[in-house]
Amino acid sequence: MNKTASVVIIGGGISGCAIAYNLAKKGVKDVVVIEREYLCSGATGRCGAGVRMQWGTEMNCRLAKYSIEFFETANEELEYEYDIEFKQGGYLIIAATEKEVEQFQKNIKLQNSLGIPSRYITPREAKEIVPHMDETQILGAAFNPKDGHLNPFHTTQAYANAAQRLGVEIMKFTEVTGIDVENGKIKGVQTTRGYISTPVVVNAAGGYSQLISKMVGIEMPVFSERHQILVTEPVAPMQGPMFMSFSQNIYCQQTPHGSFIMGRGDPNEPRDLRITSSWDFLEEMAKTCIRLLPPLRELRMVRQWSGLYNMSPDRQPIYGPVKEVEGFYLACGFSGHGFMFGPVTGVVISEAILGEEPTIPVHMLGLDRFEKGELILEPSVV
Amino acid sequence: MLKSTGIPTQKDLESVIPSKERLAKGPVAIMECFEKIPCNPCYTSCKRGAIKEFEDINDRPQLNVDICNGCGVCISNCPGLAIFVVDESYSETEALVKIPYEFLPLPEEGTYVTGLDREGKPVCRAKVVKVQNAKAQDRTPVVSLAVPKELSMVVRCLSLDDYYSDNTIICRCEEVTLGEIREYIRKGYQTIEEIKRISRCGMGPCQGRTCSQLILEEIAKATGQDVADLKVHTHRQPTLPIKLGLLVGGEDDE
Repeated sequence: MNKTASVVIIGGGISGCAIAYNLAKKGVKDVVVIEREYLCSGATGRCGAGVRMQWGTEMNCRLAKYSIEFFETANEELEYEYDIEFKQGGYLIIAATEKEVEQFQKNIKLQNSLGIPSRYITPREAKEIVPHMDETQILGAAFNPKDGHLNPFHTTQAYANAAQRLGVEIMKFTEVTGIDVENGKIKGVQTTRGYISTPVVVNAAGGYSQLISKMVGIEMPVFSERHQILVTEPVAPMQGPMFMSFSQNIYCQQTPHGSFIMGRGDPNEPRDLRITSSWDFLEEMAKTCIRLLPPLRELRMVRQWSGLYNMSPDRQPIYGPVKEVEGFYLACGFSGHGFMFGPVTGVVISEAILGEEPTIPVHMLGLDRFEKGELILEPSVV
Repeated sequence: MLKSTGIPTQKDLESVIPSKERLAKGPVAIMECFEKIPCNPCYTSCKRGAIKEFEDINDRPQLNVDICNGCGVCISNCPGLAIFVVDESYSETEALVKIPYEFLPLPEEGTYVTGLDREGKPVCRAKVVKVQNAKAQDRTPVVSLAVPKELSMVVRCLSLDDYYSDNTIICRCEEVTLGEIREYIRKGYQTIEEIKRISRCGMGPCQGRTCSQLILEEIAKATGQDVADLKVHTHRQPTLPIKLGLLVGGEDDE
């Protein structure tokens, strides 16, 4: 089955679906999304699903703020028949070291200057927000009530359904096997379900983005790293915000459904495409969680899984066209934050493809920044 | 009891149910004929001579279960619809029950119906494995139902309605009904992974042990696929929920 498309988006996660929706909303016809498995089967559906404006670089703050403001009205804007389950209970980021206190105060200044209502709070104030925490372990905390978390499956589905209503075709269970380039221009995409002629390809393949770029001869300085996560049985609501620590290595939220979802990073995680689970993770995760949030020791975990962070050298996304191949666009290298940037990714990539003025000037997030050495390292990553 | 209700008693049944050992070996006829009436087509139809020659035409049939191979020829030949074939070697959990069925419309092979007991009460969901309606059946079609093994001596009729209704809870952990599952399938969520993510089925403490097979069957039914060809969802650790406290060396659950 051969066909023609105006834009082929590779990857049916939040980024791919949001880009497709934005293109279709702007009137682009014949947009095709290709997904190797089912929607959000990759990093989107495996993530911790937290969304925060509390970042350490101006760019990430702006990208996140835009996205969170979209999530606030996404059910209506996308006319979703179910609920994306956005719980805006804030992010409580604890400072456990002097260095963190200093960094957070610097971050908050930056965030406030961008209109983000974050504030530095004392251990006692933090305890009022999360009563089951051990406040003696912390020096203070950063809190932004506008942060929160939502359901990544429903959010992706909301975008996908809205895109399909606008005429986007989503090809699930279809794998891209090659991309044809002729005279430096994108020509078409080979898939397991036929050939698609197209002048534009968007690489929104998450943890597999480096493989897609390789198909057009581009080596990206990114790698994929396994991150693990667990979920507990549901209990009555007891925790409002996402509880997080960079130095103690934890993020932990209670979903509206009642279950707790928590994860951590580990420098020894494999840097390949493995998405297996390990016993060590459970032990380390439980240790950290129980030390900081002691009553949670009584919760039973029901499942663990893992997903891929697509890590860029400066932990910021890679956006936009590339100079080597005309018609090839990148939306990858999210370094664990692709879900929360989904809405803004959809907007800025659709603007780049249509040659419109960007809502947020993301040209500095192009792939060539690594060649030029223009990196702005994001300090606040778990 | 039989005379007033038409339903055999436990004692009646004991006299015609073969031994456990015989049942385990494979298909065998169950002659649920308890009335002395002038009737012998079962005897004349059995080519193997498993049914003893009638001394008096009013005799009840005497089956030699070691000669009977459960071929089922006698089923359609019995005017009283009193003969069934039961195969307990069908699968590990299910038995095959062959039932004479003279109602229209006939069930379709591969669909699910409700298994009824001798009183007509619904007792289980049953898959229609085969419908035999050739000339040899002479308008007494034989329906083969796969039923839970423990109900092999209970299911004796069927109703075309599915045993489950739209209100039946399929996922007990997350309280998702069959009606909701059917709606998701209609809307295009046609793999178990997609249904899990949209409905939470399989995300609860049982991790899909109860619901996943039922959902797969619904997907197969709605999409015309064979359930054996469908992908099951990823099974993840742990097998049973574990307290976080236990993971760090704390006390075990009660």
